[in-house]
Amino acid sequence: MKIVVIGGSGLIGTKVVGLLRQQGHNVIAASPATGINTITGEGLAEAMKETAIVIDLANSPSFEEKAVMEFFQTAGRNLLGAEINAGVKHHLALSIVGADIMQNIPYMRAKIAQEELIKKSGVPYTIIRSTQFLEFIAGIANQATDGNEVHLSDVQFQPIAADDVASFVANYALGTPVNGTVEIAGPERFKMYEIVERYLQHTGDPRKVVSNGKPEYFGGEITHAALVPAGKATLGSIDFEKWFSSQTQKV
Amino acid sequence: MKNAGTLQQSVELYKKEKQVLLALGNDLTGVRDKNDLMILFKQRIKGLFHITHSIVMMIDNKDATYVPFLLDNDDSPIKSHKQYQEMVHAHFALNEPFIQAVLQAGEPVSFVLEEVMDLPQSPAFLRVNFEVGAKEVLVTKLMKEGRPMGFIQTYTDIPGGFSEEFRSIMHGIAPQLSSAVSNIIKNEEILKKEKEKSFLLDFSCDIAAVRTKKELGLAVRRAMNKLNPQSGYVIRRINEDNTTLTAYVFDLGARTGDQKVISVLLNSKFPINDGLQDRVLNSPIPLLFNIEREIQRGIKAPYLQHWKTVGFKNFVGIRLRNGETNLGILLLDIEEINIQLFQGICAQISIALANIMANEQIGRKQDEQAFLLQFSNDITRVRTKMDLQEAIATVLESTMHTQFAMIRLIDEDGFHMSPFLYNDRLFGKATADFGKMAATRITIEEIYTSKVLASEDGLVFNIEEELNSGNAYAKLWKATGLKNVYGLPLRMGNKNIGTIWLLANRLSQLLLKGICAQISVAVANIQANEKLLSYKKQLEVENDYLKEQIKTIYDFSEIVGSGEEMQKVYRLMSLVADSNTTVLVLGETGTGKELIARAIHGASPRKDKLMVKVNCAALPANLIESELFGHERGAFTGALDRRIGKFELANNSSLFLDEIGELPLEAQAKLLRVIQEREVERLGGTQTIKVDVRLIAATNRHLEEEVKAGRFRADLYFRLNVFPIALPPLRDRAEDIEPLTQFFVQKYSRTTGRNIRKVAPKVFQQLRSYTWPGNVRELEHLIERSILLSTDGILDDVFIPRQNVEDKLENAFSINRSLAELEREYIIQLLKRCVGKVSGAGSAAEILQIPGNTLHSKIKKLGISKSDYFS
Repeated sequence: MKIVVIGGSGLIGTKVVGLLRQQGHNVIAASPATGINTITGEGLAEAMKETAIVIDLANSPSFEEKAVMEFFQTAGRNLLGAEINAGVKHHLALSIVGADIMQNIPYMRAKIAQEELIKKSGVPYTIIRSTQFLEFIAGIANQATDGNEVHLSDVQFQPIAADDVASFVANYALGTPVNGTVEIAGPERFKMYEIVERYLQHTGDPRKVVSNGKPEYFGGEITHAALVPAGKATLGSIDFEKWFSSQTQKV
Repeated sequence: MKNAGTLQQSVELYKKEKQVLLALGNDLTGVRDKNDLMILFKQRIKGLFHITHSIVMMIDNKDATYVPFLLDNDDSPIKSHKQYQEMVHAHFALNEPFIQAVLQAGEPVSFVLEEVMDLPQSPAFLRVNFEVGAKEVLVTKLMKEGRPMGFIQTYTDIPGGFSEEFRSIMHGIAPQLSSAVSNIIKNEEILKKEKEKSFLLDFSCDIAAVRTKKELGLAVRRAMNKLNPQSGYVIRRINEDNTTLTAYVFDLGARTGDQKVISVLLNSKFPINDGLQDRVLNSPIPLLFNIEREIQRGIKAPYLQHWKTVGFKNFVGIRLRNGETNLGILLLDIEEINIQLFQGICAQISIALANIMANEQIGRKQDEQAFLLQFSNDITRVRTKMDLQEAIATVLESTMHTQFAMIRLIDEDGFHMSPFLYNDRLFGKATADFGKMAATRITIEEIYTSKVLASEDGLVFNIEEELNSGNAYAKLWKATGLKNVYGLPLRMGNKNIGTIWLLANRLSQLLLKGICAQISVAVANIQANEKLLSYKKQLEVENDYLKEQIKTIYDFSEIVGSGEEMQKVYRLMSLVADSNTTVLVLGETGTGKELIARAIHGASPRKDKLMVKVNCAALPANLIESELFGHERGAFTGALDRRIGKFELANNSSLFLDEIGELPLEAQAKLLRVIQEREVERLGGTQTIKVDVRLIAATNRHLEEEVKAGRFRADLYFRLNVFPIALPPLRDRAEDIEPLTQFFVQKYSRTTGRNIRKVAPKVFQQLRSYTWPGNVRELEHLIERSILLSTDGILDDVFIPRQNVEDKLENAFSINRSLAELEREYIIQLLKRCVGKVSGAGSAAEILQIPGNTLHSKIKKLGISKSDYFS
C-alpha cells in the first residue's frame, strides 16, 4: 500500500516511516528536503498518485501567530486538494489534546483550523490528538529557566513517548478511518513541574524547580486540565522511567 | 625479486590507477550531459579492464529506494532483455541485504550474481543481468556530503573478472564520479530552469502583445505547443454574477469533439461550486485531476463527460488571479505538473486577461457613454408619462437587461410620496400585490426611501439579503430572478424630487448617475407639462362654467329695460320668486318669457339647481308624457331603457313648461294630476315618486280662449294661473327700445367683431316707429342684421321690414271701418309711434310716403289733435 507521510523526516515522522516500511508498505517520506512541499505544492501531485493513505505530521517552521495559521491552512488546503484529486482513502493528522479549549493560543487556533479543513474536505479521516511528548521535557525546562531556577506551572501533564505516538499513528493509519477524533496520552499523569523536576534529578541537572502555581503553557493562560485528555484516551505503554532509560542508553 | 616484482606491480598499478584517475578527472570536469559520462567512463575503463556494461543508480530518500539514473545506452547487453524497460523505471528498495551490504561497506563490493540474485529480497535487475550473460557485479557507493547518494554498478561476464586493481580504481574514482553525477544533476536542473525561463520569457513577450481574446488564444496555443503540441486547454473566466464561470478561450489540441456539444458548453455558465472549479480556485497550487475518478466521485459537471468522450484522461487546473482577485481558471490537458512553469504561465495569462478585461471595460464605458447620449436624446423628446415609460422600457430592458420597477415622486407637501410610474408587467403573477403596494402612498420617512434619499448616488439592495431581513418588497423582487435592486434618488439640482427603483444584476455607477439625471429631467418636464395641462383644463372648465353662468344666471338686472311696464313685471317677479307658487308667464312671442322664468328661478331658493325646461310645442304628442314623467324599460315600443322624466329631474328645482298651450289634452290631464299630487309615476311603472317641483309655465296663447274652445283643460288652466305675469309687447314699451338697442349693439359688436361706436339718433326714431310684432327677439335680430350690414362703425340705418308691417296693420284695423275712420286711426297710431313727429326723417310722413305738408293738411282735415297721439 502506498503511504505518504508528510513531515516524514521529523521526530514522529521518521519513526512512523520506519514502522510502516518495516511492515512492507511503500512509504513516501515527504518533506521539502525530499522535494515534496505542501506550502508550494511542489511534488505534491506526483507523490499523491496511487496513494492510499496520507499521514500529516508536518509542523509549521514558524510559531508566529500569522505564519502558523497560514502554514496549517495553506498546507492543509494544498494537501487535501491533492488528496481529493488522487482519490486518497484515508487522511490521518496529528493534533493536540486540548487544542479546542486553548483557543487563546495562536498555535492551537491554527491546529483547530487544520482539523476543520480536514473535517470539511470529504476525505475519510482520523484526527489523533496527542498530549505533549516526553521528549519535550528538556525544552520545557530550558524555556522556563531563570538563573538556576526553573519556574513552572502546576497544570496537569500526561506526556507520551514519541515511540508510542509513532506506533499509534501507524496503527490508526492502517485501520479504518474513524472520521472523528481520538485522543492518546502517556500512561502517567503529573503536575508539570513535578515531572520536570524528576527529569532534572535523573539527568543530574543542578537547576531547582519552583512551582509558580500559574496555570500557563508556553506563555498562554490555560486551565489546569487543558493539557490532559478529558474523557477516554488511549494510553501509551512507555512510562517515564522506561522512556528515560531508553534515552540514556542512546546517549 | 618477488618483492621487487610486487613493488613493480604495485607501482604499475598506481601508475595505471593514476593515469585512469587523471584521464577520468580531466574527462569528468567536461561532462555536462548524462550520457557523456557513461561513454567516457566506458572508454577509459574498457581500455584497461574488461567489463560488459555499467549503470549509475541514484537513491531516492523519500521512499527509501534507488532508481536507474545513467544507462549504458550504446552496447548494454541487457537492452535486449524483455524486462529492460521495466527495470529502467523500477524503484528498488534500499531495505534489503544486497544493497545494505553495499551501504555498510567502505569500498566497492562485488557479488556473484548466481549467489545473490535468488535471495528473497534481492532486486530483480540481478537476475535480468545474469540472464544476458553477466556473471558478477561490482557495486561502488557514490557519496555526497558524507551520505550515500547512489551507486555505480559494473558488470562482467567473466567469473572473478574484477581484479584488485579494478576495485581499487573504482574506489579511487568514486568521489570524482560522485561529483560528476552531482554536476550532471545540477546541470540538468539548471538547464531545465533555463529552459523554463526562456519559455516564460517567450511567453511573456507573446502575452505582452495580447490585446484581444483571439490574440490570447494564439499566444497560449504557441506556449502549449512547446509543452505538448497535442494537448488542449481552456481558460474559463468568472462571470459578472461571481457565481459562475464561462469558457473564454479554448483549444482541443489534437482532439476533436462534437461541435454541437462544444458550442453548448462554450455558452454554458458553470457554477463555481461544482466540486471541481471551486477546488481549483481555492488552491494556491496547480491541481492534477483524473477525469474518470472525478466522474466516479459524483462530480456532475457536464464538461467532464464531454472530456471523457473526447478522450482526455487527466488535466491540470490552475487558478488565474490578479493580485487577490480570482479572474478564472486555466485547465490544461497535461499529465505532469511543473509548478513553477504553470505559475509563471498563469501569472502571464492573468495579466493578459486583466488587460483584456480592462480593454473591454473601456469599450463598455464608451458604449455606456454613447448609450447615455442616446438615452438623453430619447428623454428630451419625452413629454408624457407614456413616452417616459416607452423610453425607459426600450432603453433599460432591451439594451441593459435592467427592469424598471417604479418611480415615486415627492408630493407638493414635501412629505408624502405618490407613485408616478410603475411597471406592472414586471412581477408576473404577483402583479396584483405589486399594484397594491405601488399604489399606496408612502412618506419620505419610509425606511428604504429615506435611506435612498439620504444617499449620494443611490443604494444597492441584494435581493437575497433583503429576503432574509424580511423586507416586504423582497418577495416581489425575487420573482424577477434578478439579483439586485437599485434605489436611486431623483434630483433637480440639490432638491430631491423622488426615487426610482430598478432591478438588475449589475449596473455601472456611470450609467446609474447618468440615467438618474436624465430621468430627473424627464420627470420634471412631465410634471411641468402635466401641470400646464391641468391648469389649461382647469381654465377651460372655469371658462365653461363662467360661460354657463353667464347664460344661466339671470338676476333682474340682466333684463334690459326699466320702463313702467317692465317695472310692473319686476315687482311681480320679486313678489313671487321666493315662494313655491306656480307662475304663469304670458306674453306675445319674443317678449322674453323664458328670460323671466329663469330670472324667477334664479331669484328663488332653488337657484343652486338647474332649472329644467320642457318645450311642450317641440315634442311629438305621443312622446311628451314619457318626456315629462319618464318611463320604465319596455313600457312601450322603443323604450329600451329606463328613462327619468323631467319632473323627476327637476326635483328640488324648477320646471319650466314653455308653450304650455300646445300641450295635448291627454298630457294635460296627467300634468294636472302631478301638480295636484306632487308625485309622478313613470310610464309602465307601478311606483309613485314624490317630487318637489316649482312650476313655471309660459304661453303666448290666450289660455282663456283656448279653454273656451275646449283645447285646454279649465282645471289645469286654473291650477297654472295662480300667479300670472303678463309681459308687455315691445310696442308698448317704446322707452325701452333705446337701452335694448344699445344692449344688442354691444352684444353683436362683440360677437361679430365690428366695432359700432355710435348709433345714429335717426335709427332710434325708426325703431320706435315700428310695431314690433316679433317683439324683443325681432329687435335683436334686426340689430344683428343691421350691424352686419353696417360698414363704417356707425349704425345709421336699420332695415325694418315694411311690407310685413303694413299687412299686419291692415289686418288689425281694416274691419268694419270707413276710410276716413281708418285713415284717422292709422295716422294717430303712426304719430304715436313717431312720437308726434309729422315730417322729416323717421316721421309719419316718411312712413306714409306723402309730403309733410299733405300730412299736416290731412291731420287738420281729420281733426287729429296732439292729445290724440300724446296720451
